[in-house]
Amino acid sequence: MRSILLQTLAVTVINLKSLPQRLWMSLATVTAVGLVVAVLLTFLAMANGFQRTIAGSGATDIAMVLRGGSEAEINSVVLRDQVRLIEEGPGIARGPDGKPQTSAELYLTVDAIKRSTGTKANLPLRGLGPQGAALRRGIALTAGRMFTPGSNEIVVGKALGSEFEGFDLGQTVTFGTSRWTVVGLFSAEGSVFESEIWADLPVLQSLFKRTGAFQTVRARLTSPAAIEALKAYSDSDPRLKLDVISEAAYFAKQASNTSDLIQKLGWPLAIAMAFGSLAGALNTMYSSVAARATEIATLRAIGFGGFSTFVGTLAESLILAAIGGLIGAFATYLIFDGFTASTMGGGGSFSQVVFNFQLSPSLIGQGLLLALIVGLVGGLFPALRAARMPIIAGLYG
Amino acid sequence: MNDLVLIRKNLFRRKLRAILMIVSILIAFAIYGVLASFERAFYANQDRATADRLVVVNKINMTQPLPISYYNRVAAIDGVAQISHFSWFGGYYQEPKNFLVALAVDPENWMKLRDSDFVFSPEVRTAFIRERTGVLVGARMLEKWGWKVGDHIPISSNIWSQRNGSHSWDFTIVGSFTARIPQADTNFMVMGYDYFNETRSFGKDLITWLTLRTTSVAANDRVMSAIDTMFANSPFETATDSEKAFQKSFAAQIGNIALIVGLVVGAAFVTILMIVGNTMVMAVRERTREIGVMKTLGFSGGRILRMVLGESVLLALLGGLPGLGVAFVLITRVRDSLMSFLPTLSLAPDIAAAAVGLMIAFGLITGLIPAFNAMRLNIVTALGRS
Repeated sequence: MRSILLQTLAVTVINLKSLPQRLWMSLATVTAVGLVVAVLLTFLAMANGFQRTIAGSGATDIAMVLRGGSEAEINSVVLRDQVRLIEEGPGIARGPDGKPQTSAELYLTVDAIKRSTGTKANLPLRGLGPQGAALRRGIALTAGRMFTPGSNEIVVGKALGSEFEGFDLGQTVTFGTSRWTVVGLFSAEGSVFESEIWADLPVLQSLFKRTGAFQTVRARLTSPAAIEALKAYSDSDPRLKLDVISEAAYFAKQASNTSDLIQKLGWPLAIAMAFGSLAGALNTMYSSVAARATEIATLRAIGFGGFSTFVGTLAESLILAAIGGLIGAFATYLIFDGFTASTMGGGGSFSQVVFNFQLSPSLIGQGLLLALIVGLVGGLFPALRAARMPIIAGLYG
Repeated sequence: MNDLVLIRKNLFRRKLRAILMIVSILIAFAIYGVLASFERAFYANQDRATADRLVVVNKINMTQPLPISYYNRVAAIDGVAQISHFSWFGGYYQEPKNFLVALAVDPENWMKLRDSDFVFSPEVRTAFIRERTGVLVGARMLEKWGWKVGDHIPISSNIWSQRNGSHSWDFTIVGSFTARIPQADTNFMVMGYDYFNETRSFGKDLITWLTLRTTSVAANDRVMSAIDTMFANSPFETATDSEKAFQKSFAAQIGNIALIVGLVVGAAFVTILMIVGNTMVMAVRERTREIGVMKTLGFSGGRILRMVLGESVLLALLGGLPGLGVAFVLITRVRDSLMSFLPTLSLAPDIAAAAVGLMIAFGLITGLIPAFNAMRLNIVTALGRS
């Protein structure tokens, strides 16, 4: 047993030491595997970053109330009377003053110019009441102050401010004939709210001629489970019949469409490329076996077993693939991790979401796994050939 | 034994290597075919847009409404040849996830405006103008949901409500239309604006946008500025742009994601070809001695050059053509599930032709260096090299 181990180790070391003789072929394999991993990880990092930004935005103890079947805030219409009825609903937490913690909101899209491309893009402009910011986790002003109720002032999410033109502190922004002053910038723990513009609800309603119109109501629940009571309350009242959904569930659904699409694109592509690089790897390993034919035969002639030549070849292939995988992962990390992109939000949302590409250890693990599979399959058949090669043929080759 | 046989024998002298190279090339061109088709479909809306069509939207954003009164005022502007208004219905069938593109239009003028894109039979024309609750359903949408002309279908809206509180409208399919040009997508439906406007509970007398055709492309700039000046400083300011520019800026909203995907996949394509090219160079190098023998036998340098080039081009085509076939099958299979997102997804003949051109170029480039070396090879060196 020990001798097999020692033999295997010896053959592996010989193989690796002779790698520089097959430098170009080996480099081609390393590059090919590296690219496969880089492509896969780029897609996965994109999907992951998008998913985290959007899905991470929702809280389980916040209920969102939308028009039945409307799917997204932008489509929804909630009437003034319905807002009042919802505020009286069960399961809603009340503040120290005894008032329900709710926020009826208007959600519009406005045009702005993207800095990087100079093209127009849809941005969300949200009108919210005095409790609006408090119903969201981790809202903090990074500059300036909150808008004053009743005035033409806006506060702008940090991500939006850096991606789009004209939202610096103190600047005046024009939406149609209405003019607004940017009085503050806010962060929101990297959530989707950092891609929004906020204004005072009544001002927005009047300047956009939507007096008395609302699109959604957010409400803090006494507990995440209390949403069932609110749902039942809405379903049983014919004046309501609204969709009641937890904010977490709403955003999870919004994120899933787009990130599913990215993943559905990424994996098949990476697998197709893996086949391509497999061809390269097999090629490299076969030519490695061919180049080492005399050497392998000599080893066998002096008593080395077929198993050690088999493992030695397989190890060479696995190591090349692993190096490629690591380089691919590292390159993706350097180029794309933290890369800021913006796109049209998933689901029914019709406005831009700014997000960062995010690699994670588990994603890198997936990438390396794919690399090792390529290395394993790419090494297996050449290794079998090496192990089975007749000694005589090798010595005369 | 003619040269072609020699070429084939050379290529398959190591069967496994040849097969692997062919598979790699196959995958590379399958990727190319799919990527190019996706890119084409993604920008198809811009290609479809003709130069003399303009789009008028609310200046704040295209989702903000315009008053219906603008319709007649814009129509009266000198240089406007045809015009229709459009209202976004936000339609779905039975379940909100069964999203449908449904638009409320001015039936008569809409058909005139889109006559260059779609085929409307005379019966369909009169029926759509006459029937207030009638809808025209595009051929692809009809097929997708298994509907027939004459069916009564309930279409729900994720935005609008009827005055009785219902979110659903009952329509009669009074006709269908097919595409006149390949880029035109028919996976949508249109309804008469009057019926929609009278029955909805809010948003009365508002529309989403206007599309118009100018008398000539030369009139575009003048018409655009005439419209936007007319409504400047009004509560509903407009932004008028050519349909092409409008579609382009809309596509740009998908943002750098599309660009990144394109770059990454493009890099993959190039790398696979580089790996194969490298292998090909080595395969010819291996045969140095043999080429020396052929030269001794009297093969001319030019003939050897042609044979090596022929081999690499043959390899590229053997991999690339089935690769295009795979791309075609893939595209056809995902087409239906992406119908609402990328309606014109298909492997167009010119994409296929470009791919074949690339295959030949690839074959020539990978063959060129080894072929050139083989041609110039000195017999003595060749036989001496082992």
